[in-house]
Amino acid sequence: MRLTGFPLLVASSLLCALSASASTRPHYGGTLHVEMRTAPTSLDPGDSNQVDGFEWRNLFGLMFDTLVLLDEQGRPEPALASSWQAEPGNQRWQFFLRRGVNFQDGAPVTPDAVAASLRKTNPTWKVLSEGEAVVIERDSPAPNLPAELTLPRNSIVRRAGGKISGSGPFAISRWDPGKKLSLAARDDYWNGRAFLDAIEIEMGKNFREQMISFDLGKTHVIEVAPEQTHRATAEGRHVESSAPVELVALVFRRDPQSPEDGRQRQALALSIDRELLNTVVLQGGGEPAGGLLPDWMSGYGFLFPASINLELARQVRSEIPHTTSWTLSYDSNDPTARVIAERIVLNARDAGLGMQVTSASSADVRIVRVPLISVDAQIALSELAAGLGLSQPKFASSSVDDLYGAENKLLQSQRVIPLLHLRRGYGVSNTVKNWRTARDGSWRLPNVWLAAENP
Amino acid sequence: MMFRRKLLAVFALTVLVSVAAVAWSISSLTRRAFERANEERSAALVAQFRREFNRRGEEVAHRVETIAASEGAIRMALALNHGSPDYGAFLNEARTIADNQQLDFLEFIDGQGTIISSAQWPAKFGYKETLNLVSAVPKDAFLKQEELPDSAALGLIAVRELSLGEKPLFVIGGRRIDKDFLSSLELPAGMRAMFYQSLGSSFSPQFLIDTSGTVRQADQIAPIIQQLQHQRQETTTLVHWSSDAADDETIDAIPLNGRDNQLVGVLLIGNSRRPYVELRQHIRSAAVLSGAAGIVLAILLSGWAAARVTRPVEQLAHAAREVAAGNWNTQVAVSSSDEVGELAESFNRMTRELLAQREHLVQAERVAAWRELARRLAHELKNPLFPLQLTVENLLRARQQSPQQFEEIFQESSSTLLAEIANLKAIISRFSEFSRMPQPQFQQIQLNDVVQYVGRLIQAQLDAPERAPIECKLELAEPMEPIAADPDLLHRALSNLVLNAMDAMPQGGTLTLRTRQLGDLSYVEVSDTGTGLTPEECERLFTPYYTSKPHGTGLGLAIVQSVISDHGGRISVQSESGRGTTFVIELPRNADKLQNADQSLDATAGSH
Repeated sequence: MRLTGFPLLVASSLLCALSASASTRPHYGGTLHVEMRTAPTSLDPGDSNQVDGFEWRNLFGLMFDTLVLLDEQGRPEPALASSWQAEPGNQRWQFFLRRGVNFQDGAPVTPDAVAASLRKTNPTWKVLSEGEAVVIERDSPAPNLPAELTLPRNSIVRRAGGKISGSGPFAISRWDPGKKLSLAARDDYWNGRAFLDAIEIEMGKNFREQMISFDLGKTHVIEVAPEQTHRATAEGRHVESSAPVELVALVFRRDPQSPEDGRQRQALALSIDRELLNTVVLQGGGEPAGGLLPDWMSGYGFLFPASINLELARQVRSEIPHTTSWTLSYDSNDPTARVIAERIVLNARDAGLGMQVTSASSADVRIVRVPLISVDAQIALSELAAGLGLSQPKFASSSVDDLYGAENKLLQSQRVIPLLHLRRGYGVSNTVKNWRTARDGSWRLPNVWLAAENP
Repeated sequence: MMFRRKLLAVFALTVLVSVAAVAWSISSLTRRAFERANEERSAALVAQFRREFNRRGEEVAHRVETIAASEGAIRMALALNHGSPDYGAFLNEARTIADNQQLDFLEFIDGQGTIISSAQWPAKFGYKETLNLVSAVPKDAFLKQEELPDSAALGLIAVRELSLGEKPLFVIGGRRIDKDFLSSLELPAGMRAMFYQSLGSSFSPQFLIDTSGTVRQADQIAPIIQQLQHQRQETTTLVHWSSDAADDETIDAIPLNGRDNQLVGVLLIGNSRRPYVELRQHIRSAAVLSGAAGIVLAILLSGWAAARVTRPVEQLAHAAREVAAGNWNTQVAVSSSDEVGELAESFNRMTRELLAQREHLVQAERVAAWRELARRLAHELKNPLFPLQLTVENLLRARQQSPQQFEEIFQESSSTLLAEIANLKAIISRFSEFSRMPQPQFQQIQLNDVVQYVGRLIQAQLDAPERAPIECKLELAEPMEPIAADPDLLHRALSNLVLNAMDAMPQGGTLTLRTRQLGDLSYVEVSDTGTGLTPEECERLFTPYYTSKPHGTGLGLAIVQSVISDHGGRISVQSESGRGTTFVIELPRNADKLQNADQSLDATAGSH
């Protein structure tokens, strides 16, 4: 009994170990189902109507490559460009292309093709090919050009016959604009074939629809609104969150018209209870924001106070003889923005300021949500300023002092009052393995693989 | 104005006044009835509003009660009693429950009035509710102004308390009084319900709604609202929306008070006056048509009535004209027994009386004429008879007393007797001549020729030496149309007038013979410058046997008048005492007689 029982026990133990090992080991195959709110009608990075948002960045990252990538710390690393160098002054840059890379349609990725792609999206740049290199000449010093080239709009594509071809890990197999995108893994991808065979992305699904699909097991990956992250997690769903990568802010339509106007804006900024907004309205889905860039990105975010100071707000208000009653607008499709707007109105009232929520587009103040599209702080600030309609910051160098100075200058203009930094959240099915959400919220799908069971 | 026209005017006026009076009466009655119906309809609608208000209030209270007993409320109450509630956990709780219970307003508040969760204003968590629930929780629903992020709304609110521990949880829920609420009222045609949410003393058009949303021309309602806000009692006002009276609307405004008896809203019930105005227009149209028909009928009736009434009158008028023309035996037909018939009967009686009177008068005049004739005849005959008697007596006496002288006396007396007998014969022949006045033999003559002939004949007498000088002047119009007349009779008549004129001028003077023509009438005037006649003499001048001369027979002017009358003419006299007399003869052309005269002349000529 003991002699016969032991080998059986060992054998069964080995079988169990082998089967367990097989279920956790990456393997090829499967189709990843993803749902998202955005419903793009074009996949062309050069389409000026597209926004440099998270959705585009993640979509384009599946189909297209950029010359350069940024790592978690925001440091450039090679992608299509194997190396690069800048001439003194950082106005002229040379990018040397990786060899043997082809577009989806089989055409090779050449300097000419790369130059043509970049010229399309950056008409003010001077882009040309020199041998195996692509040369970019800027009008002014561009020390962060490699980081800038990581933006979604600078994805390298080949436009031929009305079709878009990229050199990314997945090729477009079916495109139903605004509704569905089907991608197939490319076996000849220069960085190695993805584990997934295909990805199917359903577009134009709101958070509620996505959640229902997710709970019904119809999809593997969904977007989760920041304010729903806490609840989704509490209800047992697996939610992957990024670092705070989206700014919610109040943006004034005009510059301060008088010193009193500036002081009234100051009183408003002091009266807002950002902490309560974050904990109650957003259910902890973000962070109170005193500055434009989150602390994890700039490192000095704590220097911009985000806490409410109603006493000081009232004091500042009392020093203003005549205040203006502002109108505040928000994205009517965003219920959270509405609650934030209404709360701000209440906060402003507490400080003695008149404010009225409106749906008019010509409101004095509006609530905007702007993504921090790059992990490079300077690029992120520049893109933020552009998204907020503020003047572009000037950077003399890549130093933190320059960054702080530029951000502080933007805040001093009193055109913008930061409110919150929001996290990006994704509900990920348990069958999705090796999923990793980067700090900036971008997907890393090439290394994702699917467990055997259905979603 | 003719009697018929008067009658028509009276008829038409009567019809118009009657129709206008009836139309006005009907219009007034209609207006009063309409206003009464409006009042009743408004009252019914107000009652319906109150019923709907109570029904919805009960419904809201029931829903709030259901919410208070729900698991969500219990969970919230438990969280409240376990410490400070997590606002974030309940942020959307009220809205979700409100959606499920179909409530527009829902708030959960704690015992201190702090809002834990609000459906209408989710961001208001942590703030205080204005409703005071310390004293007592109202059992029934009530009206309350609900502050919203972008405005304010009036709600029908109910409150329920949930006490699971030391800290009570109040559930305040309600439904909005809005256009949907108004739409639920079953409004009769021509009526509408409006609602004004009273937030302040000044009027705000955006707070005035009806079932379609905001009310157009809301400013016209402002005075009603302001009056009600001032007086706090129901008012009724007529609003003119446009120049068209059919657009007018009677608006009843009913104040709606809240829990603290504050005016929180105004219910306005509009009653269109279009049905009334259209009915009034129909009445007016019918009145106009009736008036027109009445006028036509009046014309016909007046014509008929006038014919009935005026025809006898016209016959009477015609008969009167006949009587005036001398046809005294005129009679009118008596066709009715009314006043007009009596008048006709009287007229006939009058003409009969006149005829009888005239007969009597003629007989009397005839008797008088015979008497006058007898008197004149006696007088005329007595003058020659007296010398005859004296002469015969003288003869008898001479034969008895002096037969020797008888022969001489006989001779003298015979001549005297003969002379007087001749005188008697002359007198008798004149009377005989008058009685045998011949009928005129008409022929075409020139009046001037007759006048000139008379002038020439009379000239010899005027030239007699024993006669005082009389100048004869002929003033003859040229040319004169020929007339039909008997030249001999005219000559005789004119001669009579001329001789009378000469007799009227014993001291001499001027005799004027004048002719003239006016239209179809020819005139001959014989004027003297003698002593003239008195008016009384002028009146009796043409009476037979009347004379102003000592030896006249009074037949001259009668003969003249007879001749002129036989010619269809007239003779008149104009005289002024001391200045002379003018006889005017008016003769017609007698064209018909002229034609007969020509034919007879031609026949006579042919026979020869």
